[in-house]
Amino acid sequence: MKNGKGSRGRQGTSDRGGIRKRGAATRVDREGDLMMDAGSARNRGGKKARGESGRSGTTSRTQAANKAMDAIQRAISSNSDSQANIRQSGRGSGLEQVMVRGWKQSKAASNRDGGLESLIAFLEKKLSTPDSKAGTRARITKSRVEGDALIVSIRPELLDRMLQLSGFSFAGAPLSVHKFDRSANDLLDQPMLSSLSQNGTSPSAADTKAKMTAVLGRRYAQQTKLLDLSRLGSDPDLLSMGIFGSTSTESKFFPALMKVWELNFDNAAARREAVESVSLADNQLANITAVTTLAQTIPELKNLDLSNNDFKDPQALIGWRWKFRNLEFLDLSNTPFSSDPTFKDTMLKWYPKLRFLNNVEVRTVEELAAQKKTPIPVQAPHFRDESQIAENFVRAFFAGYDNDRSELLNGVYDKHSTFTLNVNTSAPRAQQTEPAPWDAYIKKSRNLLKINHLPARMSRAYNGADKIRELWTSLPATRHPDITAHPNEWLIECYPIPGLPDPSGQSSTGVGGLLIMVHGKFDEISGTKVETRSFDRTFILGPGGGMGGIRVINDILCLRAYGGHEAWAVENQPAVPQAAAPAAPLAAPVAAPPAAALPGAVPGAPDGYGMPVPGKPDAQVQQEQLVLQMSSKTRMTLQYSEMALTGNGWNIDVALKNFEELKTQGTLPPDAFLPGP
Amino acid sequence: MAPPTEDTLTKVSTDAANEFVQSFYPALENNRNTIASFYNQPTAMILFNGNAVADGAAVQEIFVNQMSPTHYEVQSFDCQIVNQTYPTPTSTGLKLPTETGLKDMSILVLVSGYVRFGESRDLPQRGFSETFLLVPNPSSDGPKGRRRKDWLIQTQNFRLVV
Repeated sequence: MKNGKGSRGRQGTSDRGGIRKRGAATRVDREGDLMMDAGSARNRGGKKARGESGRSGTTSRTQAANKAMDAIQRAISSNSDSQANIRQSGRGSGLEQVMVRGWKQSKAASNRDGGLESLIAFLEKKLSTPDSKAGTRARITKSRVEGDALIVSIRPELLDRMLQLSGFSFAGAPLSVHKFDRSANDLLDQPMLSSLSQNGTSPSAADTKAKMTAVLGRRYAQQTKLLDLSRLGSDPDLLSMGIFGSTSTESKFFPALMKVWELNFDNAAARREAVESVSLADNQLANITAVTTLAQTIPELKNLDLSNNDFKDPQALIGWRWKFRNLEFLDLSNTPFSSDPTFKDTMLKWYPKLRFLNNVEVRTVEELAAQKKTPIPVQAPHFRDESQIAENFVRAFFAGYDNDRSELLNGVYDKHSTFTLNVNTSAPRAQQTEPAPWDAYIKKSRNLLKINHLPARMSRAYNGADKIRELWTSLPATRHPDITAHPNEWLIECYPIPGLPDPSGQSSTGVGGLLIMVHGKFDEISGTKVETRSFDRTFILGPGGGMGGIRVINDILCLRAYGGHEAWAVENQPAVPQAAAPAAPLAAPVAAPPAAALPGAVPGAPDGYGMPVPGKPDAQVQQEQLVLQMSSKTRMTLQYSEMALTGNGWNIDVALKNFEELKTQGTLPPDAFLPGP
Repeated sequence: MAPPTEDTLTKVSTDAANEFVQSFYPALENNRNTIASFYNQPTAMILFNGNAVADGAAVQEIFVNQMSPTHYEVQSFDCQIVNQTYPTPTSTGLKLPTETGLKDMSILVLVSGYVRFGESRDLPQRGFSETFLLVPNPSSDGPKGRRRKDWLIQTQNFRLVV
């Protein structure tokens, strides 16, 4: 927050070092490519500078530079990274141009490409007459983005049909479709490049890019991770480039600037790391249309200063309504909107993590934490095993699935086992992840919402080990995290169920078995690419002739985009009953934390460990106390005690039982225990 | 009697799962006083985020009296037959395989989707995964004035996963 406010104070100081690494001066190479890795040759083999782009070696740099040049040409001449340039596409081709708006408010707008691909596919589908054959399917070959509008070129005979799509709902948002006004188009489309050339200052895109890079460098403070884009209109460098000479260059300027910014990073992670705060103060903005691309370029922004602008109402900011999900500080001081009676409520709704609005605290840390709570408190996994059958099965299963699926099938699957998989292609995902494509699975997916025909439902069910083997060998290789080393990345629940079929026929009225539900993630390795996905997998085990006297009756798998594991982190373990009661309608009887006197000093325990300290969350205090108890009862180190507890859902009784078993088996290493007797 | 064909089994099981999913989640949203009618008696186990709930009536009580308006969106689901000849309890003891018909199968259902706790569309969408085991309805008549359900929940495990 102080970054956002401090920005203006810093304006004009001479030490705003620019984009640089380890204090090295900003260097710009021949092609105007900002050299983020200046000095990396010296450092190669040594420590890497934080946030280093990873580029090294002249070959890759040149390639990257060439790629960058292509991209910047496109950015500057077409105001988007879509391929088509309106100057070539619009004229003389006999195509009609249509402007589509409203999609920026759709759910698809959060896609990697801002939803463009699915929007175009949607329009093409709607444009195609139902009886048209594949070959005559309507195509949108040219398109580009102008602010919040997508401008597409279509064959004139499709125009009427296209205009009728106005009001259609695309991914939850109504579209508006209008014919694109050619004369307005010509005005708007004056490429920045030629306009700059007219001013005689920037003969080439490379030159423009170099200048923009310099401007960005001057306005970026690496230490505070602040990108200060305030008072752009009075920036002498931008003025000398003639950016604000006409509305056309002005409208292209910010997207181009963002594109130049992106080009300075080789990957999204480095880009995310670089900036926490942006100031767009004092820019006379009446709405965010001109700067809307900020939300695509720096979506994880924490602090945003929009003060001293002309926003009148929420509509002026509507394009950012679903954006900036990590925003904590927002300054809209000195804007007409901030005196609107709904201002505070609206901003609180739009930005779930917002803590400061116009420099006033609007949510405390506690309120933020309370907000995250669900009406159903998250408890430790319910794991009721029988003779460790489920535990052994789960451990063996995922190791086997990663390493030798055929062997696994031989071991515990038989001719009656059933396997199906379904892909939830639209599942919520963890922030900062981009969904990986589903090509390898989608033809096998038996999502019954989508697979309605009986033959397809049948062909996507795999009955018997042989059929399952055929499928499994065709699925991508996987790597699941080690359960012992990363217990928190897994959620495994299990309990006995009755009424299962008995293939031996001995019990005609059913046998008992285990229902096992596993949630977790895996890496998928194909070539050099690694994609991380999440999964939910439910098994039913019954008695049988497989290893350990069991067989898999059912194995049903749901794949979805990576969603992290925070959702099942235990919220209020072990809950103090009265505190948990109001927010926890489903609170199961939970043992109150034993108020037993804490054991004496444990070697290696840091000062204050297990003690309430201002600022330390209650949950942490309770966990530390449990760790101390565990340690005192087992003589294990704090580290191992904590591992034992997290591995058993913070249930100390289960953890102690587990400890006894492991101790009997002799699987605990000597360094698990505290030194001494 | 000839054993049922694969077509028939697939049709019966997937139709049952479909009907269940399409009626149960809407009931959780806005027909909460019917929730208990989805559950077998007794149930084997009902878990919400690791919290055990005693039976269908208790689930209904919680949703009616304690849960804010909740919006569920099922995005994907699938099912498998567990036992083609489920031993349903009858007045004369457990049903034997020779006494069973097509609708005597037990069915495993796995659902994936998101849930929003509260009315505002601005609230976060939380991903959930839910496993059900459906068993044949042992009683021959349905709740008053409603159509009899062929399958009921024997076990349910709801988990927020995102």
